[in-house]
Amino acid sequence: MKHLSVYLRLGLRNLWLHPARTGLTVLALAIGIAALTFLTAMNDGWMQNIRENFVLTEVGHLQVHARGFEQSHSIRDHIRDPRPLLQRLTGMQGVRAVTTRIRVSGLASAAGANAGVLVSGVDIERERQVSRLSTFVGQGRWFVAGEERAVILGDVLAERLEVGPGDKVVLMAASPGGDIMSEVFRVRGLIHSGVMDIDNLMALVPIASARRWLALDEGAVTDIVIRARAFADVNPLQRALRTEWDGQGLEVLRWMDIDPMAEQWARFADAYTWIVLAVVILVVLAEVLNTMLMSMHDRIREFGLMSALGTAGSEVFAMVMWETVILVCLGGVLGFALGGWLSVYYGQHGLDLSRFATAFSFMYMSPVVYPLLTLEGCARILGAAVVGAMIAGLYPAWKASRLEPAVAMREV
Amino acid sequence: MNQDHMLICARGLVRRFHSGQEEVAALNGVDLDLPKGAFSVLAGRSGSGKTTLLNILGTLDMPDAGTLSISGRDVLTFSAAERADFRLYRMGFIFQAYNLIRVLSARENVAYVLQLRGVPKAERLRRADAWLAEVGLAGLETRRPDQLSGGQQQRVAVARALASEPDIVLADEPTANLDSHSGESLMHLMRELNGKRGVTFLIASHDPVAMDAARELVMMEDGRIVERIGQ
Ligand SMILES: Nc1ncnc2c1ncn2[C@@H]1O[C@H](COP(=O)(O)OP(=O)(O)OP(=O)(O)O)[C@@H](O)[C@H]1O
Ligand SMILES: [Mg+2]
Repeated sequence: MKHLSVYLRLGLRNLWLHPARTGLTVLALAIGIAALTFLTAMNDGWMQNIRENFVLTEVGHLQVHARGFEQSHSIRDHIRDPRPLLQRLTGMQGVRAVTTRIRVSGLASAAGANAGVLVSGVDIERERQVSRLSTFVGQGRWFVAGEERAVILGDVLAERLEVGPGDKVVLMAASPGGDIMSEVFRVRGLIHSGVMDIDNLMALVPIASARRWLALDEGAVTDIVIRARAFADVNPLQRALRTEWDGQGLEVLRWMDIDPMAEQWARFADAYTWIVLAVVILVVLAEVLNTMLMSMHDRIREFGLMSALGTAGSEVFAMVMWETVILVCLGGVLGFALGGWLSVYYGQHGLDLSRFATAFSFMYMSPVVYPLLTLEGCARILGAAVVGAMIAGLYPAWKASRLEPAVAMREV
Repeated sequence: MNQDHMLICARGLVRRFHSGQEEVAALNGVDLDLPKGAFSVLAGRSGSGKTTLLNILGTLDMPDAGTLSISGRDVLTFSAAERADFRLYRMGFIFQAYNLIRVLSARENVAYVLQLRGVPKAERLRRADAWLAEVGLAGLETRRPDQLSGGQQQRVAVARALASEPDIVLADEPTANLDSHSGESLMHLMRELNGKRGVTFLIASHDPVAMDAARELVMMEDGRIVERIGQ
């Protein structure tokens, strides 16, 4: 840092000496870094989107079960009296809404066909505040208050059973005691979510009907489903509830504990983007390296002269490094501004990829992406640019610093 | 000879170059004592080894054999960094061409070596301007090298070499790219600085203009010093 002002002056002026070469390199850098910024924001927006879709479609941010239910999925493992738990959750920091469910797998039969189903008894009011299930109703309608023995089926399931709104369906499942219970339900609506497990298997019934059909006690539930205020609340909530409810025979699970698929998919998308980023960085690096080597070659005599005048090798090294840093900063600032602007613009307006991406809805991806510029994303880009500049500068700087003055001065 | 008065004391300097299979002995056992305050011109035909000798005396190159002491220091034992430091504080250089850093103004070129030595900004600019005036370039301080004539560029190099108050100034063909008038006035300037300020000069040149200005001629032939005329 001893002679920073002279390094910066020399760096800037030498870059200015070849406006076309410098300009092209800065442009390439800017485009590369803009792409980097935008891709990172896209990816972060996408991952956020996948997580949000996954959580809001059905699962919720957190679920509370009787211990063992996640493993057994047996209705025998249910919570007898959820009221104190619900009371505690109401108004708790980070909790946005709570609902309860009874889940059981069974068989549906209609006039023409049978099919396996996942039955979910839902609180018809609270469910709307936690999941998007009610918004997926295409044909027919959501439940109305006081309605008995109504069922809403996944649209693919309905097709297999050859039923529609108004038709009757018999649901069969085992009670906690092990008896096979059957009940007649009338189809009130069909849902289409784009998620295969839901559309092919799901049968929703009002939770009170489910209890009566399965001979469960008043109040019994298998799931307490929590919608958090934000993803950042998930871990603290799990920790708090685990300590608070320790020893009560409960399990408190996060969305990614329940189905690691969504998180893995998000991670895969992340890894994929890293590869793209690596390629962009490599291209940019090659460009910077090329420019710096050309610039070094033009100035072999000058470096020889500087060395003859008593400039230490370490000082020549620093000079070239600073010149590279200036170059990368120029491109970086420009590219970051452009990429940032694009990210913010599309973050507000959304980027519609429906022409390419409808097939991905089963992966919980929306066709409209909202790029998200996170602090971590920005740090990643900044880090990549700085590390890139260092790497691209190292070789030319090392070469320049090792020039023998007597040899360099003979160059013409 | 009393070596205490000697600025440069070289014995048996040998420098060989390899080009392909051939080996060229550019220096073939050079002995040279140069007293403080000298104004000597190293003369000889092209290829006689003038540049090679000057480079070694300037610690820009290392001999294959021999000893060399400058200002009482055994410079051949120095590391590259120590040599750079020695050049910065003890030596001034003037080369045939491309003497200046082309993105720096005349003033900045002179101030460059002072900045490396940590001279504060105001002081180094004052000294740079004073030296530019001394070499007759007052008013041209902010010009870049490409806005100066060849003679003016060489004068900037002289100002830079002297601004750091070196023990010796080594000049390699300083007049070779100049017309005879500019060459003469450059030599005159250096001779004047030698007389007025006692700066030691060793100038390699086969330019008659330079030889005319010399107080001493050191004749080289085939990598040896064959004769010293004058003094
Ligand atoms: N780096 C090198 N590689 C190979 N040979 C070299 C090198 N430097 C010098 N020589 C050779 O050493 C000999 C002396 O060269 P030097 O440059 O010292 O001569 P000079 O007296 O300065 O000549 P000129 O008047 O042309 O500048 C020449 O034969 C030259 O070809
Ligand atoms: Mg020569």
